[in-house]
Amino acid sequence: MIATTDSQRRWRRIFLIVGAIVAAYALLAPLTSMDAAQSANVPLLADKFWFRIATYMVMFIVMATAWNIIGGITGYAAFGNVAFFGIGAYTTGMLVAKAKWPFLVALPFAPVVAAVFAALVGLPLLRLRGHYFAVASLGVGVAVGELVQNIDYGGQPVFGGASGLFLPIYAVNNRGLFFFYLMAAAAAISIAVTWWVLRSRFGYGLIAIRENEEAAAVLGVNTTAYKVAAFALSAALTGLAGGIFSQWNVFINQENAFPIEYNVQMILMALLGGTGTVFGPAAGAVLLQLLIQFLGGSLPISIDLPFVSTDAQPIVAQVILGLLLVVVVIFMPRGVIDFFGGRTRLSLSYLRRSLRETSL
Amino acid sequence: MSAGAAPAELELRGVTKRFGGVAAVDGVTFEVAKGEIVGIIGPNGAGKTTLLNCISGVHRLDGGDIRWQGASIAGMAPHRVAGLGIGRTFQIVRPFGSMTVRENAAIGALFGNMDGRRGIKKAFELAGDVLELVGLSAKADRPVSTLTIPDRKRLEVARAVATRPQLLLLDEVMAGLNNVEIDEALEMVRAVHATGVTVLLIEHVMRVIVGVCRRAVVLDFGQVLAQGEPEVVLRDERVIQAYLGERYAKRLKS
Repeated sequence: MIATTDSQRRWRRIFLIVGAIVAAYALLAPLTSMDAAQSANVPLLADKFWFRIATYMVMFIVMATAWNIIGGITGYAAFGNVAFFGIGAYTTGMLVAKAKWPFLVALPFAPVVAAVFAALVGLPLLRLRGHYFAVASLGVGVAVGELVQNIDYGGQPVFGGASGLFLPIYAVNNRGLFFFYLMAAAAAISIAVTWWVLRSRFGYGLIAIRENEEAAAVLGVNTTAYKVAAFALSAALTGLAGGIFSQWNVFINQENAFPIEYNVQMILMALLGGTGTVFGPAAGAVLLQLLIQFLGGSLPISIDLPFVSTDAQPIVAQVILGLLLVVVVIFMPRGVIDFFGGRTRLSLSYLRRSLRETSL
Repeated sequence: MSAGAAPAELELRGVTKRFGGVAAVDGVTFEVAKGEIVGIIGPNGAGKTTLLNCISGVHRLDGGDIRWQGASIAGMAPHRVAGLGIGRTFQIVRPFGSMTVRENAAIGALFGNMDGRRGIKKAFELAGDVLELVGLSAKADRPVSTLTIPDRKRLEVARAVATRPQLLLLDEVMAGLNNVEIDEALEMVRAVHATGVTVLLIEHVMRVIVGVCRRAVVLDFGQVLAQGEPEVVLRDERVIQAYLGERYAKRLKS
């Protein structure tokens, strides 16, 4: 939000060009796996295994970018956004599995239902400030998952219950490729929405709320409407990711549609990358997802952690993530994207200055 | 119904606000006519800021009514009051810390008065004009964190003026300023008033009240103690008593 000088602009341009090249490679490489490309002897740059990780990564780009709208731009630390992911997943899942709708017809309902739900719970919840809101939203995130698993009607679980929900496999050529691109489209939409928000009257209102809610109100910002709208927009994008996930994964249950750890992960991604910015959360999502996959041993390159048995590796990964959260919040409050604007450089004095800012 | 010749633009009738058992504002009644500059004075804790909070919609009333241009605004949300053309500042400045000075003012221009809401480009133009008016043009593109206290107070006024108010409520914009800065701030208030804005200001600095206000309202324990011309009001025995205590008032008289 601070005025930029020429050198900052040049840095930003370099950063954008490099980002665009990486994104272009990530988007085009999968095409080499198509039969036509293979018969034309194009080298295989990405296989099925790659799709799975890449699709997860892009899914987290959507969630972190969506969280940024309420958490980063509006300044309300929502700890229960996974509820919207699950609601999106179950909306599309139910429509496809039970109502037998075609997937692409059912998909648009995922963001709509998630947004309506967010608006309804947002009205009372967004009256709370600071950590009260964080705790209450966390409660919603947990409660919705429990409800979905446990609601029965006439002795039958409505949403598949503990055994989950199976969707018919979506008949499409190059399924892995299809869902990767669908998820990438959702990521592009969420980044585009953020870009628009930050340049709109709406976005200025949200930032004013984050900086000082009472001052925003007396200057004419309808704070309640703006907060609820930001929450609903965040929920819609998260719900869209959930909707795509349900058909991609074919099977959903409480565990994979409402994973509590996603709450922390999407926030950590946004913080790591830089809250309140357009590309920060996406950059954070890629970095953190790479780290998670690396620690989980899913990447081709991996290391054996000393003194840690293979079984304990996922737990150690969680510990490392937790430590990272602490370090990032304290030492890099504006995220790694801060270093790519050309305004600041990663140095010991930067970390020291941040520590002074964050430790009151 | 009217104070003097001009019809009342803002009417307060028995305005009451309680916090628990304490009536911070207790049946306050007065009027402000279009184009006036009215000062509110009173000892600490007299209910001045609470009264401003009632007018701007930050507090809900516990009794009485506030009418703006003939229609009640009691119980309205702050953004709706702002939309009707009532702007305000806060005693303790509340800048939007991550923004530049210009962006701060632009928020007021973007939102604020509902007549003639504008696009972002127009809002930034208006913000530039307002910063010129309050004397912050040279610092328009600085982050607010680099501003001095007097400049922050200016920005607080600029933001409120950018909402294009018809009535401006100023809460101690001169507090903590030195004599030179007070003169500059007085100039600023006069300049804003000259653009056709009615001003209701809270002030502790008597020089300000006498300097710019044609009328002053004295609050004590949430009630109107006296009102009228500043010079007359300030000589009122009850007013001196409220400020300096009964004994001193008697000594002053004898």
